[in-house]
Amino acid sequence: MYDKSIPFEAKIRWIKKETRDTATYAFKITSREIERAYRFIPGQFNMLYMPGIGEAAISISSAPSDHDLTHTIRVAGDVTTAISRLDTGDVLGIRGPFGNGWPLEEIEERDLMIIAGGVGIAPLRSVIRHILNDRTEPRHVKGVRGGKISSPARIILYGSKTPKDIIFRDEFPRYRDAFQTFLTVDKADPEEYWRGDIGLITGMWNKTSFNPLNTVVFMCGPEVMMQSMVKELILKGVPGEKIFISIERNMNCGMGICGHCFFGPKFVCKDGPVFRFTDIEGFLGIKEI
Amino acid sequence: MTITKIKKDHLRLIFDRLKDSYKLVGPRVENDVIVLTEMDFHDIPAGYKDLHGKGVYRLSGNKDSNTFSFSLGPDSFKRFLSPPVREIFAFKKSKKGISANVSSKEEKPTAFIGMRACDISALKLYDKVFLEGPVRDTGYDSLKRNSLIIAVNCLYPNGNCFCDSLGTGPEVRDGFDLAITEIQDSFLLETGSSKGSEILNGLTIEEVSDKEMDEKNSRTEDCKKTIKRHIKVNDLPWVIYRNPEHPRWTDVASRCLACGNCTQVCPTCFCNSSYDRLELSGISKKSREISGNKVRAWDSCFSKNFARVHGGNFRPSRRARYRHWMTHKLAYWIEQFGSPGCVGCGRCITWCPVGIDITEELEAIRK
Repeated sequence: MYDKSIPFEAKIRWIKKETRDTATYAFKITSREIERAYRFIPGQFNMLYMPGIGEAAISISSAPSDHDLTHTIRVAGDVTTAISRLDTGDVLGIRGPFGNGWPLEEIEERDLMIIAGGVGIAPLRSVIRHILNDRTEPRHVKGVRGGKISSPARIILYGSKTPKDIIFRDEFPRYRDAFQTFLTVDKADPEEYWRGDIGLITGMWNKTSFNPLNTVVFMCGPEVMMQSMVKELILKGVPGEKIFISIERNMNCGMGICGHCFFGPKFVCKDGPVFRFTDIEGFLGIKEI
Repeated sequence: MTITKIKKDHLRLIFDRLKDSYKLVGPRVENDVIVLTEMDFHDIPAGYKDLHGKGVYRLSGNKDSNTFSFSLGPDSFKRFLSPPVREIFAFKKSKKGISANVSSKEEKPTAFIGMRACDISALKLYDKVFLEGPVRDTGYDSLKRNSLIIAVNCLYPNGNCFCDSLGTGPEVRDGFDLAITEIQDSFLLETGSSKGSEILNGLTIEEVSDKEMDEKNSRTEDCKKTIKRHIKVNDLPWVIYRNPEHPRWTDVASRCLACGNCTQVCPTCFCNSSYDRLELSGISKKSREISGNKVRAWDSCFSKNFARVHGGNFRPSRRARYRHWMTHKLAYWIEQFGSPGCVGCGRCITWCPVGIDITEELEAIRK
């Protein structure tokens, strides 16, 4: 094993611009040895390191079975701005992977509802692609093929600001092979062709049909959105134990020794970033926790 | 565990022996305060008495005939195991790529002199943070493993001690190599490890009589009895969890300066921030090279930007930051590491510039 407190070098293989402020970067780990030892599960994150500037915690947006290790990054702070100035072939440092990741064992027998807001789709893309890649295996073949949705059902609800802010827009047609996909935007430019929904994700229930008692929810997005979604889901009858949310906090070390990322008693970096709703329920509504 | 005794003037011999293989770190008076630094036998502030109150500290000399007559200063031993600023690695970015190298310095192991029961408990908690997480902190690990702990049983508590309520003191029970108890005319020595008994090899050690054992026990009992401050812990963490919106938080926020003193003197506060330290000489425009160090420095949850992320700060108000600190100490720790993060040393009370008292605040929340 390599030391996770020391960054290793990675080279950018390609960059794909997703929206005006978001791009996907594919990385190649320079050291063969580390590349072989590097294993992650969907929902985990890396600390991306720009020497002289700092580190940013960014979730992995590719599936473990994908060829490339990718990160989908929205320009927000110093580090992400510096990364946005990089080109194919440039290098940066990576530490990781950190965090617990999505509980994939929960969805083997159950329906999955993925709820994402904005760039929160990035850690969920890892799950989506994991399911898509896995689909060729016999036990999943009968899932959606033939137009009839049989168990386990897979649903994606994704909300963004405008149609132009939809990340992975080109990949959604492929997602529809395995998922019922519902997109919504806060507002759409009338001059632009948009046949999806307009409004909050919470307004999309009437379009979806799912069995709440058999559904597992994976959710990532703005905390306000997640709080109101959880309320709705519980009203619909989804058990709180089956709702998993990925939380954002200030990350500095990634290994549970710096104390920056506390969410109540939880270290978001090592106990999370994915939490079972019932484990953090008491702390969710408290202001400035 | 065996108990032996040495004559009072033989303690110097132990120091002389330790000096060969260890760097000695212990209490010493500097600027009218007992601090922990590199020291020697003659630096022990023997006879000094320290007066502690809420936001009050006074030191006076020649008040007592005992060697270990004093109690705690602002420093705790975390300073030497997780130093205030520490280099994690040196980095270099050039056309060839990025490299990060850990520089390992061979340092003389440290002997910690005069560690009290509360500080030993605090180091046990530090072990949980730095050694039992998903990634072991190698720096802390090597410093701790090579160190030697010479503990001292407290004779007198100071006005802010409340270790008894938390079961962390005043008597040292484990986690030391050698423990010293001062009695009328000798030092009783308990060995807690093979390293500890090695130190005593060749010294003229004597058997301990029953009378002397009784004296040790009665001195500990006396110390316990003189502890004035208490904290009730049987309803933790729930009493705090139930009261996130208690008006007392607003009240304490009106007094708290958010200076972070309490977190710096606390022996269990471990929060830190890592950042890149660049020097102008490390930047070369011509060859497009950058080199510098990644350092880890103590930080405090009272820092305004401690919980900041892009687009917002999770704890902008002082009320939330004080609440977070105290809730972490007395409640979150229990969930995270199995015991409260407070060892009852009372340093946060002494060194708070406005004299906020954690025991009093908890009591007020309880009401």
